[in-house]
Amino acid sequence: MIGTGVKKGTAELAILSVLENGPLHGYEMARRIEEQTKGALCFSLAALYPMLYRMEQRRWIRGSWETSSNGRRRRCYRLTPAGKKKLSPLRDEWSELFAALRRLAKVSNA
Amino acid sequence: MPDWQQIVSSKLSGLALEPEEVTQVLEEVAGHLEEEYQSLLSKDVPEKEAARRALRRVDDWQALKQMIESARKKENPMPKRVAQFWLPAFLTLLLSMVLLAVIQMFGPNPWTRVVASRWWMPVAVVYVSWLLFLPLIGALGAYMSRRAGGSARAVFFSIVFPTLPYLTFFLIGLPIALILDDRVAHNITIPAFFVGLSAWVIFPATALLAGGWPVHFFASRRLISSRSAGG
Repeated sequence: MIGTGVKKGTAELAILSVLENGPLHGYEMARRIEEQTKGALCFSLAALYPMLYRMEQRRWIRGSWETSSNGRRRRCYRLTPAGKKKLSPLRDEWSELFAALRRLAKVSNA
Repeated sequence: MPDWQQIVSSKLSGLALEPEEVTQVLEEVAGHLEEEYQSLLSKDVPEKEAARRALRRVDDWQALKQMIESARKKENPMPKRVAQFWLPAFLTLLLSMVLLAVIQMFGPNPWTRVVASRWWMPVAVVYVSWLLFLPLIGALGAYMSRRAGGSARAVFFSIVFPTLPYLTFFLIGLPIALILDDRVAHNITIPAFFVGLSAWVIFPATALLAGGWPVHFFASRRLISSRSAGG
């Protein structure tokens, strides 16, 4: 299980990554992140929605209300061009960090 | 089935956002819990247990409320101190100075009186018409400062700001001028100093506060009652 501090930093990357495949509403987003990370990243409501609203303010994502086939109104979020632009350097940053940690772990094990 | 909209409305009551935003947030969070609940039901979890587990997705409603408020709060382009103090203060100063200039140019004439006694006779010059308008200017300063969330101190100084240049003159400028400048009459007596201070600082400050402080008082009461109504 990943610690809270790291999770906080990776949350933006996780949200932007799942939205890269298409628009999603909050519940579905949380479910997919949990599923794809095999439960390592699990969003509580208190973490998810404030994060989505903050990212919306930064114009990385855009939310709009949509009505599903069963008549339920849901707010779907999609990536904006600014969000797409942000995703790539964010990915590089985290890959670098994980690579560094892996190297460090290997050195300590040696 | 639980009324998720109702549950979320009561848990997040008093959310300090625009009414339209509150409706959207409540609908979104309620929708999330409902999806969670439906998903649990589809896994054959009994209704009561499903509702309990769905609600457990939020450990602390108060924290959620605060985090949503802070996340949705729009960045204010104006720093707080500017909105709470400098802007209302300079507006009251500008309005009161323009008004005084207009009165001095077009009348009515000030009330003048020689405050004579056995040893001294300074002349009091009081612009009564100016003083009569100052409560309105004070009220405007107090309203602007309070609306921007100014503290009692910020509101007070926003109201009396137009008198501060005169106060500075009487307390600092005049004594320095008496020492350094030969052209300033050196026979200014202490009573004359107090007459001037009253006419240009104490009376205007009182007039400004007479209009501004009640506005501050009522605005604070309204704020307290709206907060307690919001929970």
